[in-house]
Order: sequence, then C-alpha cells, then structure tokens
Amino acid sequence: MNTEATPIVEIQGLHKRFGDNEVLKGIDLQIAEGEVVCLIGPSGSGKSTLLRCVNLLETPTEGTIVAAGHDMTAPDADLDLARRDIGMVFQHFNLFSHMTILDNLVIPQVRVCKIPKATAVAEARRLLAEVGIEGKEQAKPSQLSGGQQQRVAIARALAVKPRLMLFDEPTSALDPEIVGEVLSVMKGLAAEGMTMLVVTHEMGFAREVADRVLFLDGGVIVESGPPADVLANPKTERARSFLHRVLHPVD
Amino acid sequence: MSAATETPARRMTPTQRRRLSRAVQYAVVAAVVIALAVVADWGRIADSFFQIDIAAAMFPEVWTPFWNTIVYTLLAFVFGMVVGVPIALMRVSDFGPYRWFATAYVEVFRGLPALLVLFLVGFGVPAAFPGIQYPGGVYGQVAIGLGLTSSAYIAESVRAGIQAVPRGQVEAARSLGMSHTRTMITVVLPQALRIVIPPLTNELVMLTKDSSLVFVLGVTTATMELSKFARNELTSEANATPLLVGGLLYLLLTIPLGLLARRLEKRGDTR
Repeated sequence: MNTEATPIVEIQGLHKRFGDNEVLKGIDLQIAEGEVVCLIGPSGSGKSTLLRCVNLLETPTEGTIVAAGHDMTAPDADLDLARRDIGMVFQHFNLFSHMTILDNLVIPQVRVCKIPKATAVAEARRLLAEVGIEGKEQAKPSQLSGGQQQRVAIARALAVKPRLMLFDEPTSALDPEIVGEVLSVMKGLAAEGMTMLVVTHEMGFAREVADRVLFLDGGVIVESGPPADVLANPKTERARSFLHRVLHPVD
Repeated sequence: MSAATETPARRMTPTQRRRLSRAVQYAVVAAVVIALAVVADWGRIADSFFQIDIAAAMFPEVWTPFWNTIVYTLLAFVFGMVVGVPIALMRVSDFGPYRWFATAYVEVFRGLPALLVLFLVGFGVPAAFPGIQYPGGVYGQVAIGLGLTSSAYIAESVRAGIQAVPRGQVEAARSLGMSHTRTMITVVLPQALRIVIPPLTNELVMLTKDSSLVFVLGVTTATMELSKFARNELTSEANATPLLVGGLLYLLLTIPLGLLARRLEKRGDTR
C-alpha cells in the first residue's frame, strides 16, 4: 500500500442525519489508489449511507469528502463531472429498463462523455465481453438473469472510465448459486488495480480480495484493518458477535 | 354446527349457490330483452334510425366533418402534450415557483368546463385583446381552446408516470454523471410516457368526443365537425338516421384507438 501518494478518497468528520435519526456519527476514512476496502456491519449501521455519501447521492449533514480528485462537499462542486470518475453498482442493478443491454453501455458514453457512437459501441462490446455477457446486446434487462444484469451494471459503470468504484451490496439480491459469477468479475476488477469500496455481507470475498475491512456499527467505524485481523480476530465484542451471527446464523 | 354436518343435503354448497345465482341473473336479463322486443314498435324505430337512403345521402359530404374531427382532436392533443409535459416536469421540480405555477395551472384548467374554455379562447380573449389573430383561424382556436383543458389532464397523467419510474433509475443515471435534465430526457421521460400510454389514449378518446364542442365557435361547411354535421342533417331530414351514422363514425375512430392502446401496453410489458 502506497501511503505517501494522496489518497483517492478522503473523508473527514462525516455526519449524516435523516431528521432526528443520526445515521453517521463522525466518519474519518482514507482510501489509497488501488486499494480494495470492504464495509461490513449490521443492517442500519450506516454502511450504505456512507457509500452513498462518497458520490453525494446522499448529501452529508457535516464533514468534507474528497473523492477521485474532486472536492465533493465544496459548495460549487461540479458533481456531474465528479461522478464520471466514481462508478457505482447497486443492489438492484438499476439497469435502464427501456434500453437494450448495448444501449445501457453506449448511451452514457455518448451523452455524458460525448464519445462518438461508433467508438462507444466498440467499447461497450469490449466491456460486455470482459464481464462475460455475449449475444445479449439487443436484449432488454428484464430478459437477463440477476447475475447477468449485475455484470452488465458493472460494465455500464466502467463505461464512463471511473477511477473509483462503489459497490452497494452487489450480491444481496441474487440467488446464492449466481453470487459467484458477480464476485469473480469484481475480483478480476480488483486484480486490475481498480480502487473499490464495497458494502457486502460476503465474508469470503472480503477475506480473499479486500486489502482492508471496516466494521461499522451505530454510525461509527468500530474496527479497521486487514481482513485477517478484523474477520478472524475481532477486538471488540460488537464485531465478534456480528461476525458470529453472520458466519453461524443457526446458532 | 352438528345439525349442519348431519343434514348436508339441505344446504347448498358454494358452487351450487353460485350456479343458482347465475341462473337467476340470466333469467332476469332474458326477461328484460324479451319484454323490450315485444313492447318496442320496430317499424317506428327502423323508420327513425335505419333509413338507408338518408344515410346514403350523407356521403360523401360526411367525410369533410369526419376529417375535421380527426384534425381538431390531433391539434388539441399535440397542444396538450407540448404544454402538458413541461407542466408535468414543473410539478415535480424542486424549484418552488415552478411547482406553484404548474399546480395552479392544472387546478384551473382541470376545473373549468371545456366548453367555457373554448368560449374564453373564441370570444373572451379576442374581446379583451382586439386584433388578436389565432394561427390557422378556427383550427388555432380549437388547438388552444380544447388543448388547454387537455394539457391539464395530460400533465397530471405524465406527472404520475414520472413518479412511477423507480428511484433507482434516477440514481443510476446521476451516478454515471448525467445531469438532472439529461436524466429526465434520457431515462425518466421515456419510461414515464410508456407507463402513461393507457391514460393518454383515454385522453385522446375524450378529445375526439370533446371536438363536438367546436360548433360554439361558429363553423362553416368546410370547418364543421361530425356532431354538428349530424345534427344539421337531423334537422333538415327530420329523422334520426344521421345521428346513427355520426355515432358509428365516432366509434370508427375511438375503438381502433382502444385496440392500439392495448397493443402498445402489451409491448411495454415485455420491456
């Protein structure tokens, strides 16, 4: 891990309130270029909110966020420009349901990055091949399985050439037997050196791929460290009982 | 309880009860139809409604008002869409004044009778602003007069459609770097309009019928619509056959519209 370079994500004193409910209670986080960070924690702990604050899908109540070289919380920030550099993958895929698979990848390139159509189509085909989707270009999203849709969604996020990828529980809506095909695409992406912030319940993925695991509870980062430490030897009782519940749900 | 189980033959099962109720309904309908058939003076009805020579005499002149009905409907619908869609976008805007204006607009033009709006456009406005000229003469008056009312209904339908587009679609578009406007045009509106095809077709059918109000503007033979033409014939022939012909011609327009809407809806389902 290169700690001397400027971090690609720098969050300071982040608070997020929904009415009276304070979901994030002071988050400080730095992510280095090329690092894979997994966010784990019980539901309602604020991990999705934290992720959504990074590209300002949620507006922070307090604190500053710098991501992919953009000062996201500056009053005059150009968020549309910044978000091109921050890809996002959602739990429910959110592919554009009225467009073909190919157009899901082509239209963002043409409309957002002003890339010529022919170039965009070639790039879309390359990305679809990379995530293992072939022969589905003219299909509509609803004709694909969940795993296929999520792989297309990853390809779509990559189409606008982000420097950082956010994953919001990317496999939580999938049947267990197809979780693997999405995780392996993500693993490949990590191997290529993409910086990734991943909210997940897949402890196996976190153990194998993450450089660092953050355990969130009650709106604060309770534990942070290499997966071997956080997942195998949690220091706090909260993390220990959470991990026990996730890994041994029947007990 | 025990009595019921011991003597099951005395109580009807739900299926038997349903059959009996069905049989009673059929009997009532049959009785009404037979009574009408016996009571009605068929010769008189045929005389008033089914005089082939009177019907034949309406052709080919009836095609002009028939065509005008289509033109008035389409003009009003196009005006309604061109104004209604922006009004819908303003209603869901996060800029207060847009929302207030759009809400007031919808409340006013949804609440006023189409006939009154048509009078306002045809006579009120020209009286208040002497020298005003509508583009296309009566056609312009109809487009605006019927279109204003229509635009309020269209705006409400389209707003409902916009709000029915899943939030995740907007989030995906924004996270790719699309601006608010770009997201609306590329992602939200295409999906919203597909959702509101049924109510929009309904609006087109309503407009087809509301075009019968155009006579209040004072129309000539060349600009007459179907209802006015049928009523003129009714008066001059002292016979109701023209109403039947006119009615059938309306159905010739509205029934295919309904079928078309159903097909478009089905196509939307496979998305």
